[in-house]
Amino acid sequence: MKINYKSLAKGVCFLLIVTGITSCEKFLDAPPLNVITKGEALKDEAGVAAVMNSAYQILGGGDVFGGKYQVLSELMADNIQGNLLSGDYGEIYNRKTSVFGDYKNGFYTNIYQANYRANTVLENLGVTAAKRDDLEGQARFVRAFAHFISVRLFAQPYGTTADNSQLGVPLRTTTAIDPATRATVKQVYDQIISDLKIAETKLNDVNPGYPTKMAAKALLARVYFSMNDFANAYNYANQVVSSGKFTFESDYTKRFSEGLSTEAIFQIINTDGSYSTGGGLRDNFRSDFNLPTLRFTPAFYSFVNTTNDVRKAWFNTVKYPGEIVTTKYNKERFNVPVLHLTEMKLIRAESAAELNTNLDVAVGDINDILNRAYAGTKSIPTNSSAALIKANARAERLIEMVAEGDRLYEIKRIGAKGENIDRRGAVWNCPGLILQFPVSEMASNTNFQRNVEGGCN
Amino acid sequence: MNQNPLATMNANDIESVEILKDAGAAGIYGSRGANGVILVTTKRGKLGKPTINFSTKFGLSTYANKPDFVSGPEWLQLRQEAWTNDGNTGLATLPQGLTWAQAQQNNTDWFDLVTQTGKSNDQQLSFSQGTERVKTYISANYGDNQSFLKGNSYEKYGVRANVDVKPTNYFSANINIGYSKGTNTRVSAAWSGGIGDAMSTALPIYPVFNQDGTYWSNGANPARTINYMDWKSVDQRLLAGITLELKPFKNFTLKGIANMDNLHVVEDQFSPRELTGNTNGYANRWDNQILNRNFTGTANYDISFDKNKITLLAGAETQNFEQNGYPSGIGGDANTPYSKDQAGLQARMAAMAATNSLYYVNGLNRTTFASLFGRVNYSYDNKYYLQLLMRRDGSSKFGPNKKYGYFPAASAAWTISQEDFLKNNKTISNLKLRASYGITGNANIPPGEYYAKFGNSGSYNGNPATSPQNVENPNLHWEQLKSIDAAIEFGFFNNRISGEFAYYNKRTSDVLINGGISPSTGFGFAYQNVGEILNEGLELSLNTININGKNFKWTTNFNISKNYNEVVSIGNLSADAIGGGTNDTRIILGKPVGTNFLVRYYGVDPNDGLPIWLNKDGYQTKTFSLDDRVAVGKVIPDYVGGLTNTFTYKGFELNTLFTFAIGGNIYDGSAKRQLGVVTDWNIRTDIADRWRKPGDIAKFPRLTMSSNNYPGLSSEWNYNSTMFLYDASFARLRELTLAYNLPADFAKRIGMRNAKVFATGMNLLTFSKYPGGDPEIARDFDNPQDRNMSPNVTYLTTPQQKSVTFGFSTSF
Repeated sequence: MKINYKSLAKGVCFLLIVTGITSCEKFLDAPPLNVITKGEALKDEAGVAAVMNSAYQILGGGDVFGGKYQVLSELMADNIQGNLLSGDYGEIYNRKTSVFGDYKNGFYTNIYQANYRANTVLENLGVTAAKRDDLEGQARFVRAFAHFISVRLFAQPYGTTADNSQLGVPLRTTTAIDPATRATVKQVYDQIISDLKIAETKLNDVNPGYPTKMAAKALLARVYFSMNDFANAYNYANQVVSSGKFTFESDYTKRFSEGLSTEAIFQIINTDGSYSTGGGLRDNFRSDFNLPTLRFTPAFYSFVNTTNDVRKAWFNTVKYPGEIVTTKYNKERFNVPVLHLTEMKLIRAESAAELNTNLDVAVGDINDILNRAYAGTKSIPTNSSAALIKANARAERLIEMVAEGDRLYEIKRIGAKGENIDRRGAVWNCPGLILQFPVSEMASNTNFQRNVEGGCN
Repeated sequence: MNQNPLATMNANDIESVEILKDAGAAGIYGSRGANGVILVTTKRGKLGKPTINFSTKFGLSTYANKPDFVSGPEWLQLRQEAWTNDGNTGLATLPQGLTWAQAQQNNTDWFDLVTQTGKSNDQQLSFSQGTERVKTYISANYGDNQSFLKGNSYEKYGVRANVDVKPTNYFSANINIGYSKGTNTRVSAAWSGGIGDAMSTALPIYPVFNQDGTYWSNGANPARTINYMDWKSVDQRLLAGITLELKPFKNFTLKGIANMDNLHVVEDQFSPRELTGNTNGYANRWDNQILNRNFTGTANYDISFDKNKITLLAGAETQNFEQNGYPSGIGGDANTPYSKDQAGLQARMAAMAATNSLYYVNGLNRTTFASLFGRVNYSYDNKYYLQLLMRRDGSSKFGPNKKYGYFPAASAAWTISQEDFLKNNKTISNLKLRASYGITGNANIPPGEYYAKFGNSGSYNGNPATSPQNVENPNLHWEQLKSIDAAIEFGFFNNRISGEFAYYNKRTSDVLINGGISPSTGFGFAYQNVGEILNEGLELSLNTININGKNFKWTTNFNISKNYNEVVSIGNLSADAIGGGTNDTRIILGKPVGTNFLVRYYGVDPNDGLPIWLNKDGYQTKTFSLDDRVAVGKVIPDYVGGLTNTFTYKGFELNTLFTFAIGGNIYDGSAKRQLGVVTDWNIRTDIADRWRKPGDIAKFPRLTMSSNNYPGLSSEWNYNSTMFLYDASFARLRELTLAYNLPADFAKRIGMRNAKVFATGMNLLTFSKYPGGDPEIARDFDNPQDRNMSPNVTYLTTPQQKSVTFGFSTSF
């Protein structure tokens, strides 16, 4: 045992107390050494950047893009065979969440923790220098993303009312610790767009593993698309696709891989042994070892089970007889592409079709995807109608984005346009298609208005 | 098991265990004793000839109780009944993609597969000698305890030396050194894949192995985990203390005490590739040292004149606690545990360091306390006693202006039997009244909560990350416990009947709570001082010597107590804001802490078999709603107690101890899944009393496979109802010991001073109406607030141990 000089010092201090010489105030000024004060943490640019970095740990962790976001979204949509699910998954699948449910409640808190970290960065830009714009852009990007995730899961979709005055989610743009009140969906979307438009100008052009100008534009495209604002959606998707920074993958299997995808516009980076993402996806979908918890419906599989669709390889119907499982996440490690080129092409094509302009561009996008998906055996004519483009964009999106948590938002977006597409037969804005707020939101503010529960299937 | 700080102690080294409850007695221990003090005194060398003690024990153990679950065929039948009730035809779909043909082949008894007959052996040897100048006690012990949980064992050895030196009559020194090393071979906790699997998701229709002999892994398979998981923690503990006592002049004593407690825990967990399903297995190591330092100095002055005795004591005390090590652990792909692969460990650490994610810290959770105290004891004629105590405790856990708390206590006693009018009374041999009032402080929160903490959180994309850890609260201050204690001690007929009747009233105010805040702040909870809790109770203990013959003696000890607990105030927080435990309990004004908060179950509608509930206002409804939860049940039993009978006849001694609890409820959180909707959980046999056809009067509603079929129920987890609230009364034969002391002259003839053989049975009998297994429940939450918030809730709890031990002890 080494001599502990600190304890010796304390012994001396103690003797001083005994002899009444000093009260040893200093002895009690002994904060834990595994933490530092906020002031120390944020004293310089490196400190602010480290806090910014911790926001991605949450965004990329199992609680958000590492799995829960996709799992929650897929459970509520109509691709999962969920009739035997019980517990938290059962209530989410059955579209009747309550104020309890650790899975969902933990997700909610974590989304806002990422947001809190972004706000911390925004409130401490004063000490930054060279990276100031980039950090501001990153923080606004994360803040916008957090609110976008939250508002789409916990509030009725954009377009539910003409002025979007329906209740949204708490808008948190400072680190103040206050009870929450819900902003309207319009207010939340306004904040998201305003943050992203600033991020778009402040972010770096190139910054592997972090959001860039193009990432902000891609997210704007997704946001506008969700609002059925096709002009803006087209504009932003087009900027991303035509920037030439991302190349369309000829191999559809590379999207979830360790640094192999050339399509990723913003991806969470897996660093072996130091930072792991995608664990939640592997835990729920991975099928090369055990039967996974989440399996797919035969109705969904029939869309991909066509003669020439090479994406059939994304599914296995043999290993577990009677069960349809995906192989998309059958890897020990992969990066999680949160925004990728395939989605941008799909947005651009469908927006063009909706606007009935730039149809040639749209046909090109659709044919890129068809060509890859059907190994060159399928395409649409160059003079295709807007309706045909749209039908193809939607059909391919359903398959391409499978298990990425996209379908739920399509049900809502297309629903808001007046068309019910839920294969489980629910109305797009029925109460249970949004999640209930955690009980502690109501506990800390008895006036907090919770969502109406249940009533969907 | 063995997460207990006393696990590393050798029971044979313990001289006495004393429990100090009232503020007068415990107050001198300051904030460390806020919840009472358990004073463990270790053995010391005794004056006289050198003595060697040896004892050996061997034991067998199993579980005391277990819930009864249906067999594989029965499970399938229930599943099919639910399927048909739900309006389906044909065969029910089975969990985990199992076909009926596969399921019918199995009837796996998982409980049996994860348990075994535990075996233990304990050996201990000690040496004691003493002269006026030097007294020595040295001991060594070895123990190996294979628990009744398969794969779980604790092997330890320890040595101890206690030396008392008294070179002169004005100076003495005591030195204690104890070292122990324990190896805990661990299994998963019950609720996270250990024995709890056998009570939950490991179904009797699941196979253990596949056709090809590999472990089946499409569903819960605890046998597979136990077989592959390699999980050990090795704890080394060095406890050392020195006490110096100086008497510079008559009646004056100066004492200095220094103690240290170094605990070094290295935990290695390894899952081979058979468990991870990856190319490689995965290894983790947590390596941490926990260091405690204590220094105490006191000055004591005794004054006596006539029949007055006054003792003055003044003292100071400091404590320092910290941990050194790797708080986030070391982990990564590996094919051997790190304990067997130093090179692999080094390589992993280097790789982590290169990506900014290796994190070592000295001073983790560092906490300091500094206290000053003074005490005056006055007694007159051994009849009247008075004690006044004042402490000032300072803690590093509180902010600049809140560090100190002042905690006074006063106690008085009157030995009435010493009064002239009772002194020679034939009936009353002892009569004493005592009372005390005192305040103690409690600082039981993590350090550094008064400011905004930021901490290392590893790295993202190879770059370091620092994350906010808490919501600051600069107003945090000492929690206060105001205690009133009063007792009467009595003895009649030359103490043939003796005992004590005591009353206590303890009010905890400014309770330190991790209270809920708006989760959209990004934090679920924040530490705060909130509210007030009252604990009040009566305790009676009675000792009688029933027969005191020449060869035969029979004594009885009986104790019983009643506690009342009430939340007096919860400040500004709402009932749902105080989290912890399960969602089945709440903090409600006027009710005990963690009162059950459940929807009242009325019964089954004989017509359709659906459950009928009572809504908030007491009206029947068939729609379940969490909004109809009300405070129900009894968290705390009406009475708890114990009854000990000891019979001795010549060299034989028979000792029986019964413990009991009367009244009170258990809420079985796992029953929601075991007796509710038929999902992929085991089902308890008491489901037999269920509705099957119109007209049935039954306890449980019609079976279903989906929570959708009980209107209003969102998920099985939210089935918070009185359907699962049970009578918790029980009586248990805690201990039965039969011992035989060899006759002294016989022992002497074979060279021993004395010798004893004995057999002890623990928890051999349990009497209880509770159907969920063991009625003596203990929650295994890591977080104390969680435990406090669910005092009567059980969830897949590991049963208590039932054991038989045979032993022999001797000294020579």
